[in-house]
Amino acid sequence: MAVREAHIRRPIWALPLLLGRAVSKYSLVRNLGPFLPILFLWWLAVRLEVFPTAFFSGPAEVIASFGNLIYKGILPGYLEDSLYRLISGVFYSLVVGIPLGFLIGLNRTARRLAWPLLLFFQAIGDIAWLPILIIWFGFSLTTVTLVIVYTVIFPLMVNIVAGIDGVPEDLIRAARSLGASRWQVIWEVIVPGALPVIVTGIRTGLGYGWRALIAAEIIVGTSGVGFMMFDARRSAQVTEVFVGMIVLGVLWYATDALILAPLERSTIERWGMVHRPQEAV
Amino acid sequence: MRAVKSGSYPGHKLIDQTAQTLWFLAPFGILLLVWAAAVAISGVPERIFPSIGGVLQAAATMIADGSLVEHTWASIQRVVIGSLIAMALGVPFGIAMGINRYVAGFFTPILRFSVSLAGIAWIPLATLWFGYGSATVIFIIFNAVFFSLVYSTVLGVSSIPREFYRAAGSLGARRLQTILEVVIPGAMPQIVTGLRVGLGYAWRGLFAAEMIATNLGLGYLLFLSREFYETNKIILSMIIIGILWLLMDRLLLAPLEARTIQRWGMIREVK
Amino acid sequence: MNVGGWYTAPRKRYNMALLEIEHLSKSYFDVYTGEQVLAIRDVSFEIESGEFVAILGPSGCGKTTILNIIAGFVKPSSGKVLLHGRAIQGPGPDRGVVFQNFALFPWKTVMGNVTFGPKMRGIPREERERIAREYIHLVGLEGFEERYPHELSGGMQQRVGVARVLANHPEVMLMDEPFASIDAQTRMKLQEDLTRIWEERKPTIFFVTHDVEEAIFLSDRVIVLSSRPSVVTEVVDVQISRPRKWKDLVGNESFHKLRRHILSLLGGVQIDEQPEVIGEPGA
Repeated sequence: MAVREAHIRRPIWALPLLLGRAVSKYSLVRNLGPFLPILFLWWLAVRLEVFPTAFFSGPAEVIASFGNLIYKGILPGYLEDSLYRLISGVFYSLVVGIPLGFLIGLNRTARRLAWPLLLFFQAIGDIAWLPILIIWFGFSLTTVTLVIVYTVIFPLMVNIVAGIDGVPEDLIRAARSLGASRWQVIWEVIVPGALPVIVTGIRTGLGYGWRALIAAEIIVGTSGVGFMMFDARRSAQVTEVFVGMIVLGVLWYATDALILAPLERSTIERWGMVHRPQEAV
Repeated sequence: MRAVKSGSYPGHKLIDQTAQTLWFLAPFGILLLVWAAAVAISGVPERIFPSIGGVLQAAATMIADGSLVEHTWASIQRVVIGSLIAMALGVPFGIAMGINRYVAGFFTPILRFSVSLAGIAWIPLATLWFGYGSATVIFIIFNAVFFSLVYSTVLGVSSIPREFYRAAGSLGARRLQTILEVVIPGAMPQIVTGLRVGLGYAWRGLFAAEMIATNLGLGYLLFLSREFYETNKIILSMIIIGILWLLMDRLLLAPLEARTIQRWGMIREVK
Repeated sequence: MNVGGWYTAPRKRYNMALLEIEHLSKSYFDVYTGEQVLAIRDVSFEIESGEFVAILGPSGCGKTTILNIIAGFVKPSSGKVLLHGRAIQGPGPDRGVVFQNFALFPWKTVMGNVTFGPKMRGIPREERERIAREYIHLVGLEGFEERYPHELSGGMQQRVGVARVLANHPEVMLMDEPFASIDAQTRMKLQEDLTRIWEERKPTIFFVTHDVEEAIFLSDRVIVLSSRPSVVTEVVDVQISRPRKWKDLVGNESFHKLRRHILSLLGGVQIDEQPEVIGEPGA
């Protein structure tokens, strides 16, 4: 195997550069192109009145409503609320989930104790916790944050454990026979080795967290995009519901495809590991 | 070859399995002890945090009057119907889209977009279209499983190495045979993973939808119990939800994966 | 002289052997058959400082397991491994390992990999980079310090593996079929390079292989194992002069005699009939 072109080294502080590249024209075109025919079909369906207008809005109305909501400051306001909740929820998830995940992954006793519990509580799901959380903490930011944390940490921890398990044994042995102590092995070998899978876990977790946020807002909320959709539905403002859905979809999709996915890919590529996980959705 | 026998006494496999199950259940035992102790020590009122006894009592009552079974069965039914429809439509659809690489590549962004919307975000719209009742819930489940399945199927089918098609062709297989014998098995790991992911989203969407849009089902039970501060029923419902999913996972998904992915030696993706 | 599997070397009277392996045995639980399998019955040998010793045997005879035991990755069922007369305690930098699949850290460059050992021992950056450069040059990879492993060919990666171990100045370098996953031509080049390095620096090397010619080419002594459950069949002295080049050995009569002798030792022993268990037992 001949030596390939030297890789451009990508130290961590080159991340902005990386982001810039990702949001480059080419990527956008490739990602947005397929939506054009869908948009056309949508417009056509409305024009031909395939569905009753009370239930189905066309692109024109949606755009108009979108503009209106922005103008009135409603949409940006709600968006801000939603994003704030999501970010704070994710922050706490990382703070709790990463150390916990590593503890379970590295310590045998912890794993034995925690793993069955993890599976079970993950099975209960975030939504099912809302009622009891509402009783304990009311209709508040705490409740929503807890739901998000709950949702995000499970895929995160599961992936951390899987990532730790997936580090090839030979690498660990190599490190030990080069004189690394227990902690050095963890820090120098296991963490970098598990990193790609962990990044996938963060990405998956974020996806779940986003959905949990919307559900929580629908049920609990007094503001936020989820709330907006539900409120609009109650006043039969179909167009606003559409706007909400599209904004959600676009936001998440953009974040995932343009930021998270490239981040994940470059973590893997940088270290040249032959490991293509299924695209986390 | 000489082998030294040790540790292989009759029935040791059964004992091993029992031991494993016990080890699995042990943490729950500890959890139950902690629960009982916490309630006893802190003296927290039943309405805020139920005791084990309270939950069991609620269970007994509800089983007696049949409501527990009613609600649980309603939820299960909806999951089954929604998933079956989704599978029946989604897999063929996915295969059709996936076979041509260019079509697959073209539609992938849209599919990813749809999956990111799957389930919960559709609830407001679904209630508008289908009103209140089972139809909405089934739609949400269908939606969640369908998009995830289509997306995974397309991914799976389009990643089948071209050599497989050539091999099949040069062994005399025609279009339909190729699909049945090569495409479907080849895409199986992805399809099964897609099913698992989709069911995960569906599971969440199910309860959210039931809370909002119906008056029957475990989600509704959760909602109702909250209104009346019947925390013992809430905890009971949560436990049942957890057990149901675990059962579904162990009895359905895991064997499915074992028979397809693991048996054929394909790597199972981590989710 | 062979006494039922225990090779007695003419011991230097005032020097203890560097590495003493005494009556190793190893059995493990085979998940496929549900039985305890005795892989290694009774293996003993010694290695002197500065020697190049190869160990060879049929598939499944446990030679890699022996290496893993010496490296400290695996505990023997019975027996002892003594380094300078003291029993070993798990893996350590005194016994560096070169792996068959290289085991380079993919997220580190060549320089990062080779400086790893010194870094673990707290040697300051300038010093360890200096050491690393010396060994990178020794294995012939000068100029590739900033490459990542996946940009290198198999042969080059293994050179890094060797440099990485040597930079740590181990007492013994344990090599586990290091050239098995490398193409034949590169392999011969690497073998010649290895002998060159050995002659320059005289590290003590314990080399596991299944390739008879490779064993003879590289080593001073070849330990031949029987099939499972293994014992030492014979230890063969390799009296071919150094430096050795492949092109010279083709016509060398001693080489061929040794080859035939060792092959007969291997062939004459009953071949293990059980299919090879996938995955290293006891690992």
